[in-house]
Amino acid sequence: MLTTWEDTYKKGQLTLWIFLALKDGPKYVNEIRDFILEYSEGTISCEEQSLYRALRKFKHLKIVGFSSGKGHKGPDRKYYELTEIGLDILLEFISRNIKLFFNKKLVELMNLK
Amino acid sequence: MKFITKNLVAYAALLLVYSLIFRYTLSSLLEAEKFILAMVSGVIYGVLIFFTAWILGKAHTIKKFVFDAGLGFNITTYIVWGLVSELWFIFGFNSKYESIRSVHYALIIWGVFLVLHFFIYWRLRSKTIKGVLKSEIFD
Repeated sequence: MLTTWEDTYKKGQLTLWIFLALKDGPKYVNEIRDFILEYSEGTISCEEQSLYRALRKFKHLKIVGFSSGKGHKGPDRKYYELTEIGLDILLEFISRNIKLFFNKKLVELMNLK
Repeated sequence: MKFITKNLVAYAALLLVYSLIFRYTLSSLLEAEKFILAMVSGVIYGVLIFFTAWILGKAHTIKKFVFDAGLGFNITTYIVWGLVSELWFIFGFNSKYESIRSVHYALIIWGVFLVLHFFIYWRLRSKTIKGVLKSEIFD
């Protein structure tokens, strides 16, 4: 039962994690994936294909932009970054939906203290 | 939003070729009184159009984020099919079993459906941002 809930919950979080990874600085797809894996403490893993699909959509909507940078050995890599609109959306989203979890009462309820 | 994509142009070109081949085959078979084969050629023509539009339309929507609910492909099919059919009769390539009236009836009925399709597209358009369905942006 718990894993079913978790699966549904995680599915809706990918955008937030991508945006957080890009707020941290421009990254190429593998770096975004590694960031998500590291900061979600291994609870959220995503396939490269899902990341590409989401990034392509965000790029089309001008939420995300990219620049080409040197790869280690192979061809140039696309380094994705949040655009001004993207950053505004993320900050507004955090302000409306994430900050409330830091309410004293909720922190106590979640036994985080 | 960019409606006319490479895929749509490629579709129009393929459809033109299919339609010319179909018209020629249909008229020849009817002239030879091979009515069953004429029907089969119609089915093949329809299936071919369907799959070509399906493949090119999918890429048109997914890769280029063109959300027009298939309206661009429907209008293109209407124009190309209508033009080829009309010109076929104008130049007198039709068989004695074909009537231009059936082409006109088809265009009128299809035209009504095209208007309906336009209204569906118009309603769905409010649910998109730059061609992406709002419900699919952050899914």
